[in-house]
Amino acid sequence: MTIKGSWYERDSRFIAAHHQPALLLDLALARELDSHRLLRGSGLFHEDILSGQARISPQQFLQLIDNTRRLLDADDSSFLFGQRLLPGHYGAASQALQQAGNLQQALELLTRLRALLSPLLAPRLLLDEQRIYIVWLDACGCGEQRRFLLEASMTALASCSRWLAGERLPWQFEFAHEQPRYIEQYWVHLGEDVAFARQVDMMSLPREYLARPWPGASLTAGQVAEQQSLTQLEALGFSASLLDRLYDHLHEQIRETPNLDKVAHTFAMSPATLKRKLGKHDSHFQEQLDLVRKHVALHLYRVKGYSNDEVAAYLQFHDSTNFRRSFKRWTGLSPSALRQLLG
Amino acid sequence: MPPLLKLHAWKLAGLLLLANLGLLAHLIAGHIKPVSEWNWTDILGEGGSALLVLLWIGLLLKSRPAGRVTNLLFCGLACLFLSLWMDSVDEFVQLPASANWDKWLESGPMPVGFILMTLGIYHWHREQLAISAQMEKRERLFREHRLFDKLTPLGGAEYLRLQVQQALQQSRAEGQPLALAILDLDGFDRLNREHGHAEGDRVLQSLTQLLLLNLRRQDLLCRLAGDRFVVLLPGTGAQQAQQIAIELQDAVRHLAYRSSRNGERLQLSASVASVLAQDEDGDSLLKRLNLALARAKQTPSAKRA
Repeated sequence: MTIKGSWYERDSRFIAAHHQPALLLDLALARELDSHRLLRGSGLFHEDILSGQARISPQQFLQLIDNTRRLLDADDSSFLFGQRLLPGHYGAASQALQQAGNLQQALELLTRLRALLSPLLAPRLLLDEQRIYIVWLDACGCGEQRRFLLEASMTALASCSRWLAGERLPWQFEFAHEQPRYIEQYWVHLGEDVAFARQVDMMSLPREYLARPWPGASLTAGQVAEQQSLTQLEALGFSASLLDRLYDHLHEQIRETPNLDKVAHTFAMSPATLKRKLGKHDSHFQEQLDLVRKHVALHLYRVKGYSNDEVAAYLQFHDSTNFRRSFKRWTGLSPSALRQLLG
Repeated sequence: MPPLLKLHAWKLAGLLLLANLGLLAHLIAGHIKPVSEWNWTDILGEGGSALLVLLWIGLLLKSRPAGRVTNLLFCGLACLFLSLWMDSVDEFVQLPASANWDKWLESGPMPVGFILMTLGIYHWHREQLAISAQMEKRERLFREHRLFDKLTPLGGAEYLRLQVQQALQQSRAEGQPLALAILDLDGFDRLNREHGHAEGDRVLQSLTQLLLLNLRRQDLLCRLAGDRFVVLLPGTGAQQAQQIAIELQDAVRHLAYRSSRNGERLQLSASVASVLAQDEDGDSLLKRLNLALARAKQTPSAKRA
């Protein structure tokens, strides 16, 4: 099996500048910031954005976020940006989301159309018996902008689902970063159920909210819009980023002890090229592999209730000391400490 | 040019003209000294001071609207600058020994400048008292402009935290009760989506004015985040704090806010809560206040957000 060229990278110019980037720009212009200073270093001009033709790369978008964050210098920028993000005005993809009949449909659309709706952070939908989880993965090597994007993306989904459902949904939020100084922004924009210094960046909800019908949905219009969005993705030639595809591939192969050579072969490139491409995204192979193994281990502990030995065996560790050491590297905790934390 | 500088264009032009006239007079009457005669310590000292005063003038004009106090301060600084400027020019140009007028140009403006500056600073002080009176209920005891929210403009969460900390100490020292009230708009998210975020911003600004009108002189209003406001109520018991919170809630309900687009009435409502400070630190007090609000938000009328 080979996966060839069907992804976007940090420097692929495909994000319509008048979509998500324009929302950020509008937010800053409404605070009377100068558009030249906002766009500095991004290789973009305000006229390009207004033309509706300009396409920018994730890298340029990240630069724009960095500029805006610095110039706005306010704790609520990411949350205000998030409130405007979804369903947004991104053509067919936004229409499809707007017409979703319930939360499940909305979340499936969000993940399937993530290249159009959330190009920098990739949402993943997971389910267990009681709850649904949306895990947010770094799709482009977001680096310093990661926290801003997490705040914005989670606010976007919470705000959009509240708007479409017509009621406030009891989302719970978990962030990997430490509690920031401006905790009250989280309270106001996300709610009181926010935890920090956790293993994964995710939000969750009881399953019963998945199938509750949403008012104002239109099935046919929604299906047409979804079809149009899929055609759009086909024309682009990809529906996810390289890191995103790599994550999925490693997840599938996690029991086959994937290594750089094998994976590079599957992605139809030389190991050196894969290495270079990962370097471009501020990452390396081992980091990506550790991330997937951490997520698999957490899933097995949390959802399947596996013991340490079972998890170690599942991940092909034949030596429990070695497993404990690796686990500590992934999570900063020993397996038993983590299990205590999970209760 | 920044708009404030435009207001002061004639002043700057006048200063430039005088400085140039002084320079011209020196050049006409005297001759330029050879480099070997330049005294570098004097040049650095006098020239540097002149440049710094020029910088002060720039900052002053950029930050202040036109008016009496600004004019006084400007004229004072301008005199200081001219005096130092003539002093520096003197370092490069040798005047004939018979010329006396240059001493007047160097030393004359200096005392006039100091007198004008003194007058300016005195009136500036009066002006500041007047402005502080306007800032009542928005700040208490200390000022930190970096902690002010850019939209409303009230103190933000950081300012509130500092103030709560101080008020807690004070209430403990004086044995007075301290209470906090919190107010959060219902359905603000929907208002933003239906009427646009610019309208939402205007609602917050109107709300700020409304809440300020409904508070006592010693109270302090801060914007915690988004559409959530906190009032610090010194010397206030639990019952009175709850009463104030409910009055604020009523005020919001009765506000006939009209949208800027077509003037239709937007019906606003808010959820409120209040807590009495106990033996705890500021962070846990604010946390408790927010949880109290979350409980208040559970009521059916607030839930339709």
